[in-house]
Amino acid sequence: MMQTVLSWGALFLYAAACAAAFGYLLNKAEGARKAMLTMLGTGLVLHLAAFAARLAAFWAYPENRWFMPVNSFFGALSYMALALAFAFFVIEARKKLGILGAFILPFVAGSLGLAVMKADPSVGPLAPQLRSYWLNIHPMILMTAYAAFANAFGVCLALLIQERQLKSRKPSELCYRLPSLDALDSLNGRIIAFTLPLLLIGLGMGAVWAHEIWGRPWSWDPKETMALITAAFYGEFLWLRYGSGQRGRTPVYVSMAGFACLLVTFFGAELSSGRHGFMGGK
Amino acid sequence: MKLLSLSWSHRARSSAAREALAAVPVERVLAELKARGVAEAAALSTCNRFELYTVAARRDSVLGALEELAGAPLAEHAEQREDENAVGHLFSVASGLDSLVVGESEILGQVKTGYEAAKALGMTGKRLNVLFQRALYVGKKVRTETAVGEGCSSVPSVAVQLAETIFGRLDGKSALILGAGAMAELAAKHLAARGASRLAVANRTWERAYQLAARYQGEAVRWEDFPAELERADVVIASTGAPSAVLTRDLVESAVRRRGGRSLFLIDIAMPRDIEESVHAIDGVYLYRLEDLEAIVAKNMASRAEAVAAARRVVEAKTSEFGAWARSLSTGKELSLKHSEAA
Repeated sequence: MMQTVLSWGALFLYAAACAAAFGYLLNKAEGARKAMLTMLGTGLVLHLAAFAARLAAFWAYPENRWFMPVNSFFGALSYMALALAFAFFVIEARKKLGILGAFILPFVAGSLGLAVMKADPSVGPLAPQLRSYWLNIHPMILMTAYAAFANAFGVCLALLIQERQLKSRKPSELCYRLPSLDALDSLNGRIIAFTLPLLLIGLGMGAVWAHEIWGRPWSWDPKETMALITAAFYGEFLWLRYGSGQRGRTPVYVSMAGFACLLVTFFGAELSSGRHGFMGGK
Repeated sequence: MKLLSLSWSHRARSSAAREALAAVPVERVLAELKARGVAEAAALSTCNRFELYTVAARRDSVLGALEELAGAPLAEHAEQREDENAVGHLFSVASGLDSLVVGESEILGQVKTGYEAAKALGMTGKRLNVLFQRALYVGKKVRTETAVGEGCSSVPSVAVQLAETIFGRLDGKSALILGAGAMAELAAKHLAARGASRLAVANRTWERAYQLAARYQGEAVRWEDFPAELERADVVIASTGAPSAVLTRDLVESAVRRRGGRSLFLIDIAMPRDIEESVHAIDGVYLYRLEDLEAIVAKNMASRAEAVAAARRVVEAKTSEFGAWARSLSTGKELSLKHSEAA
């Protein structure tokens, strides 16, 4: 199947881009940076083609027409990898922060890798209650937010390393290769400040949709509850960092806890078989 | 090829000859040699060395000319090298391997200046042209291919590098200097050079604060007012002669609360200490003491020293390559040296 071949190709290129990103981090060779961006860019093109192939297969069912194929694990993971790779291109690579590739690209490869190796790529007709324009809004907004948060998490890792190095008073070469502490801090803060509203809008749209089909906007199902906790952690981060002007590791840890909650939100809800399960088709 | 080099460097036991030579402008040296019939010569004059490279000249007449100009006896401490030894020496000088601070990069520019002066006076023929262009090429090659020039080699430059690791670019940042001694001045100079836009100086003696501030377009602050200044400053350098800490944890904590989460970089170069050690534990505050900076310099210099062997191999390879080229000139079948990017 075309989609599978293209997805594997994209995965291979993303993994190679990761390797180049680590090479770039270890010896800041310009060649490694170029290799990383070239492979990531080519991977993105293959990935987009895979997504188009999936869309064609998905829309072959007339009842699926014009809906996005994000109703399965494969579709969701693949879309998030695409969004994150794209975000890295737009945010870091454009701002000459490509050195952060080693912290962000593994999430791209990991997400697509999980889709390709563990999830079922087949498509079928959408469950009747999913055939709603809300399917193109609610999950798409949230998954975009997830991708942006994964990007922020990568930035956090670099930020923690940089902060530890400076506090140790024995900075290594790595310290001078990474972006400055302030650059990492403001990048992390800005991504989260931009993405938290996105997450809240996505949740709000979900509530409107839930109200339409189930009659009530919020039913405290595990996924909904976890999503709210995730938002609370990111909100706490913004308060600590900008409300009370705190620096150092504490706010960084809080935002990283937010990402941990996000992973539980995305994967964990499957186990508790709520109405948000990917397998159950909702 | 009859290449002769005479050097007086920091390695000599006595610096008298070097100092006497340093006082003579390079142009005068070259003009004098030209007058005495030396067709090809180039000189390199820095505060740590004086070197002369000549082609087909007699040692005694060259030395005589120099002694006359310098007005001092020079022969005793002169290092003399010929042909490939002289080539290898110039290559290792250009690579910073012969410098007091191994791998320093200033020397490359000084070699270039020396070469250009000789060229401008028409004192360079084919051999010296190729030799010096080759030396510049080798100097660059060694620095890009080995770690011999990596890592800051002085306390002020390490301090500036750390400040840049915290804040990124320093333009738009402000610095507060406590004390007005020589160390404080050195720090002020480096920060101003890197674009720190605002410089405040606080000293117990107002006049000295005022004088130092005036030299770097800074602002003098009354000693009693420096705690308020702490709120604005990004980098603080303390080097007062106070018997106990002037920057206490309480003072720093209360300033940090009013800084809206901006990082604060403190540098304590005073002995006894000016800044309480415990402030390093405050979030967003980074305190480096003189010995921390010195340890970083020592580590950098150690890793430079490790790279010296690799650098010497490059120098040796390029020296014998040059030797082969020089010998090929007399056979009529000139070898081609891989074209150098340096000019």
